[in-house]
Amino acid sequence: MISLNYRDPRPMYEQIKDSFIKLILSGGIGAEERLPSVRELASQLAINPNTIQRAYRELEQEGYIYTVAGKGSFASQDKEAQNMKVKQLLEEFDALAQRLISYGVDIESLISRLRKGEEEQ
Amino acid sequence: MIELKNVTKTFDGFRALDGLSLTVPTGGIYGLVGPNGSGKSTAIRHITGIYRQDEGDVLIDGQNVYENTDIKRRVAYISDDVYAFLSASVKDMKDFYRGIYPQFDLKRFEAMKEAFPIDEKKAIRHLSKGMQKQAAFWLAMCCRPDYLILDEPVDGLDPVMRRRVWSIIMGDVADHGTTVLVSSHNLRELEDVCDHVGIINHGKVLIERSLSELQDNMVKAQVVFEGERPDLSSLNILHQSAVGRIETLIIKGSQEEITAKMSALRPLFFDLLPLTLEEIFIYELGGDEYELKDVVL
Repeated sequence: MISLNYRDPRPMYEQIKDSFIKLILSGGIGAEERLPSVRELASQLAINPNTIQRAYRELEQEGYIYTVAGKGSFASQDKEAQNMKVKQLLEEFDALAQRLISYGVDIESLISRLRKGEEEQ
Repeated sequence: MIELKNVTKTFDGFRALDGLSLTVPTGGIYGLVGPNGSGKSTAIRHITGIYRQDEGDVLIDGQNVYENTDIKRRVAYISDDVYAFLSASVKDMKDFYRGIYPQFDLKRFEAMKEAFPIDEKKAIRHLSKGMQKQAAFWLAMCCRPDYLILDEPVDGLDPVMRRRVWSIIMGDVADHGTTVLVSSHNLRELEDVCDHVGIINHGKVLIERSLSELQDNMVKAQVVFEGERPDLSSLNILHQSAVGRIETLIIKGSQEEITAKMSALRPLFFDLLPLTLEEIFIYELGGDEYELKDVVL
């Protein structure tokens, strides 16, 4: 379900967090679906349980998941919180696009780039 | 909690431990790293009650460890060279361990047969080095220890077995809050499993910190300045090197702080990279006359 890239310079908890965000936003993990327990994931990935705990804690703070004591963590239905991430990424995108335009890249070539990216997916 | 307070130990005039202090919090996974001959194994042999310190305290849960059977039966230890009695098989050692460790879990022993492809009737001494390590793990994990002390544990194990062993240990930590102290030179691997790290040299702990704190407090920056290099004295630079105009700096401090200070200097190019444990190890010891020297052969 989650796999780690050891060459990725990001800290491990961030990788785990991002993988879950991707899964939740794409519907790979449906609303109300249970996430693997900390123990399951710690033994499966052979990494420190605290790392997973930290990723889960942040996912919960950002509203992607919620925890029921004694039952585990579940993907939340709160689409609004989830849209926050999309909004944030869009803002980063805007800033990047602005910079590219200021470097003299014309808008048409940006659009064709996006089209190409879509086809490749 | 494991505590070593100002422990000294001298062998034949050689001071192996020189006022060593370290603390392993309960439920933590503590990585003990240091150059060869820095005193890692000696420290571990004090924690397991094999050596008696000359001075200082060696405590587990606030109690002295040396000759303390109540504490020692809660501690499992895998040494760097596995020891088994002459011609003893895994089965014989299991019976021996059961007599010593009251929490020994026979059910688990049977269940773990699948994980370790070892003939339990064969003498451990006749097994290969890696197989001996596996046998030691099998037995140690069945003791259901509260404290697991590992000296170069996965040395000699194949990649599949390493992962399997770590996976079993991580499961125990998550389930029972087992406290683990592990010494290793494989820093890449320690990075995955540890939450605390102690760097030791010359019988002393140089730094001891949680891994996230360690990694959040040091960054590698690559930077190119236009023209002359501005005054960087406001930054706490540990190490610097340059290839052409690109300078690589190891800086102490948080990412935000360094980003703010750097961008004020208007570099042409600026990139921050997190440090690996291996790099932290090298740079922390760098000032300690352990500098990486280019050895010409």
